[in-house]
Amino acid sequence: MASSLSSLPPQPTVTRPLHRCYSQFSTLPSWRMLISAQDLIFPYQPLICSSALPPGKFRLPLQVKCNAQTLVSSDISQGTPVRPTNVLVVGATGTLGRQIVRKALDEGYDVRCLVRPRPAPADFLRDWGAIVVNGDLSKPETIPATLVGVHTIIDCATGRPEEPIRKVDWEGKVALIQCAKAMGIQKYVFYSIHNCDKHPEVPLMEIKYCTEKFLQDSGLNHIIIRLCGFMQGLIGQYAVPILEEKSVWGTDAPTRIAYMDTQDIARLTLIAMRNEKVDRKLLTFAGPRAWTTQEVITLCERLAGQDANVTTVPVSVLKLTRQLTRLFQWTNDVADRLAFSEVLSSDIVFSAPMNDTYSLIGVDSKDIITLEKYLQDYFTNILKKLKDLKAQSKQTDIYF
Amino acid sequence: MVLHGGRIAASAAAASSNVLCTRTSFLGLSPANTNNFTSTSRCFSLSVPISKLSDGDGGEKGKRGGKIGAKKQNKEAKKEDVPSPKEAVDLVAEGSGSKQVSLSLDDVNPVGLGRRSRQIFDQVWKKFSGLGQLSTTSTDEDLLDSVLIRGPMCEFTIPEAQDTTVLVVGATSRIGRILVRKLMLRGYKVKALVRKADSEVIDMLPRSVNIVLGDVGEPSTLKTAIEGCNKIIYCATARSLITADLYRVDYRGVYNVTKAFQDYNNKLAQLRAGKSSKSKLLLAKFKSSKSLDGWEVRQGTYFQDVLAAKYDGGMDAKLEFIETGEAVFSGYVFTRGGYVELSKRLSLPLGSTLDRYDGLLLSIGGNGRSFIVILESGPLADTSQSKLYFARMSTKVGFCRVRIPFSSFRPVKPDDPPLDPFLVHTFTIRFEPRRQRPPEGPTGMTQDPRSFKLILEYIKALPTGRETDFILVSCTGSGIESSRKDQVLKAKKAGEDSLRRSGLGYTIIRPGPLQEEPGGQRALIFDQGNRISQGISCADVADICVKALHDSTARNKSFDVCYEYVAEEGNELYELVAHLPDKANNYLTPALAVLEKNT
Repeated sequence: MASSLSSLPPQPTVTRPLHRCYSQFSTLPSWRMLISAQDLIFPYQPLICSSALPPGKFRLPLQVKCNAQTLVSSDISQGTPVRPTNVLVVGATGTLGRQIVRKALDEGYDVRCLVRPRPAPADFLRDWGAIVVNGDLSKPETIPATLVGVHTIIDCATGRPEEPIRKVDWEGKVALIQCAKAMGIQKYVFYSIHNCDKHPEVPLMEIKYCTEKFLQDSGLNHIIIRLCGFMQGLIGQYAVPILEEKSVWGTDAPTRIAYMDTQDIARLTLIAMRNEKVDRKLLTFAGPRAWTTQEVITLCERLAGQDANVTTVPVSVLKLTRQLTRLFQWTNDVADRLAFSEVLSSDIVFSAPMNDTYSLIGVDSKDIITLEKYLQDYFTNILKKLKDLKAQSKQTDIYF
Repeated sequence: MVLHGGRIAASAAAASSNVLCTRTSFLGLSPANTNNFTSTSRCFSLSVPISKLSDGDGGEKGKRGGKIGAKKQNKEAKKEDVPSPKEAVDLVAEGSGSKQVSLSLDDVNPVGLGRRSRQIFDQVWKKFSGLGQLSTTSTDEDLLDSVLIRGPMCEFTIPEAQDTTVLVVGATSRIGRILVRKLMLRGYKVKALVRKADSEVIDMLPRSVNIVLGDVGEPSTLKTAIEGCNKIIYCATARSLITADLYRVDYRGVYNVTKAFQDYNNKLAQLRAGKSSKSKLLLAKFKSSKSLDGWEVRQGTYFQDVLAAKYDGGMDAKLEFIETGEAVFSGYVFTRGGYVELSKRLSLPLGSTLDRYDGLLLSIGGNGRSFIVILESGPLADTSQSKLYFARMSTKVGFCRVRIPFSSFRPVKPDDPPLDPFLVHTFTIRFEPRRQRPPEGPTGMTQDPRSFKLILEYIKALPTGRETDFILVSCTGSGIESSRKDQVLKAKKAGEDSLRRSGLGYTIIRPGPLQEEPGGQRALIFDQGNRISQGISCADVADICVKALHDSTARNKSFDVCYEYVAEEGNELYELVAHLPDKANNYLTPALAVLEKNT
């Protein structure tokens, strides 16, 4: 929740592959007790669907066991119908989450935000008019109460970098999906990562892929949206250091990523959400063009009008570090953080043709902002601001 | 860090006093030392609560740390352990001598050095490991907030919003709730007028909304609510269809709010001694006999042929200053097709031109005749090129104030371009017996409509405003049960009229039946004249309100709006003016540009 999805945060400690999840879910999570306390009876017959992944890079064959399918929700046709404008955003404080909250509020939705209880609460969400409810995906017993009266769940949560990846991203999500199923939530929007099925060696991607499978098997009405990269992330990574004349670190990796503006992602999501044709589909949202790190840095340099102090690290060094750190138990944490170097070295393109998606949800491709335009807007605004500041300081020079 | 240091100093002081105590007891109790002992023990008893405050047994920890402090110098030291070796070092420093040395020791403190090197290492490592990821989000929340969330990079940001305070009347209504959120998202300062501030209402509104208590039916409660507001959006509506409720909210409510807003504006104008953009420009005043200089009375006839002369009954008119201190323009016109007029060349104060004004305001009294106001425009040097523009003005029996917007002036010759107030140089009031309404009032005696009396007080120009001041959400009446429809429409209409008469820049939105669904999905139709048939979502109405706030084309307009009516192929009734709203195009301006003003 602290961070967003495709802006993959540093990997926490997952040292074992996900086959462990099986044992996790054959033992009942605690939320089931809560449901049964509400006098709902679920015939519980574990149904196994093993995801047949191409064998290859992993150390152990991956098997995912899902049991959400067997949960039969109570008859929800009776009672007051839930208004379709009631949405719950999970992970609302993240980069993508806050854009979704804003866009949804602006379009007239009643937005509820599931945030973790914390001493400094997310004030900005309340200032915008969203309703903030406290809950924690890693504590499944806090979930059901937050889902009452919700029509659609938009799930853009990811665990904080410092906490174990399985806690929120797998166990929490499974609990949330099962709970949504049991409570008759009518749509579940899930954000995943592009190409997550191709890189099981990266823990976060593997978890996302397993969650996709789990959601598809749960029988919930859902939309899965795979994302590539956020333009907002580039500002902090490249644009700001270049303006501040600090050193920028880049790799020589040939990986290309089709960055997208989170505001566009939020807009497209809400359009897709209202479109019944999209139900139970898997969409990929990618930006208009895929960029390498070097290209992004060059673009920033051109727009900022100054050269960047670039430190290029070869991917091989990253990979080597990862191999080295994997040798020791106590550096496994570090190895997971570097897991993406595997992805980087395979000159894969994080992009997807969007024409089908555009025509499916009825959006004009011209409305999607390009990275050039986005960064140009950013630099013009920032440079103007700096100029204003300078002008102000000059004015004070005259007076004093 | 600051807090940290404080804690360390406190616990170190506690520890040092401890040391001193033991030392004095070793030396034995001499009288001088007793004094010393008591002072240190007081110091000790004082310092205990401080070290307790600093989450736990700081002194003890310090002692424990002292034993292992020397070893704990590697940079892998865990954060929670860091204070204890530091205390230990301080403690050692205390024991050996004075406090001043311990502070400067901080620079060469091996733990501090370790921490610093660890920070540097962390930064480098963060960058290095950041490479191994697809992209990272900036952890700098301030940067994100200032540029991406509230700054120019956000699609919601409106530059004017920061300086604008909007009063939303009816903030808990279906439209109002969405409207308040939209305004908050765009950075407006929002005041919400509610009748009761109970927890249900407060929960419904965003937290930073300024909630003011008041009732539109009670004018006295509105004064404080309106203070400091630049714009008002009125989306309150009666909770029931009872006539009294309708009258109270939909008619008197609008009237009361407009009145309170105008009072507030006038107060501002007074404070700024007529230099406010909201103050009017005096064109002519009729307070003394001298002020009548320059006005000339003329007579004429529309018919130039002989036939008219045959029916010439004669006409006469005069302008005089009577004893009661009033300037009276009176007379009669019996000639068929004849007229009399009062005219003056306008002399504006230096530096002001009429194009910055929106219309004329006349304060007049009389016997309820209708007049024609004629403005002559063109270059001053050559009056032969002057063009004439006219507007009809009806008066009531007794005194009244009449507003005539410049936009209601029509050219006498239909081919002439619309009136340009900048070029106006002559003002004329004309009376003609044609098209006079039968005199109103309880007068039993019949008045001859061909005679007239007009008491003039002043003529002022009304200041213009580019933007609307008051947005009223009214209704079209469709979707209301037919038995009550007339009553509802009557009250709404009366409310609309009171707003139009108020002199505020207004926008009246009459949406079709409201639907509770997300907005921005379907095309909208903007129309005038009760022709719409479809519903509209509350969110779209709220969006129109927000867009209209800073749109000059929305000023002084009333329009109906609803969803696009989807006709069969080839049967389309409307021309598509603008597409669905999105961040790139502002659909409101083109849609409203074609609609008439001041309807």
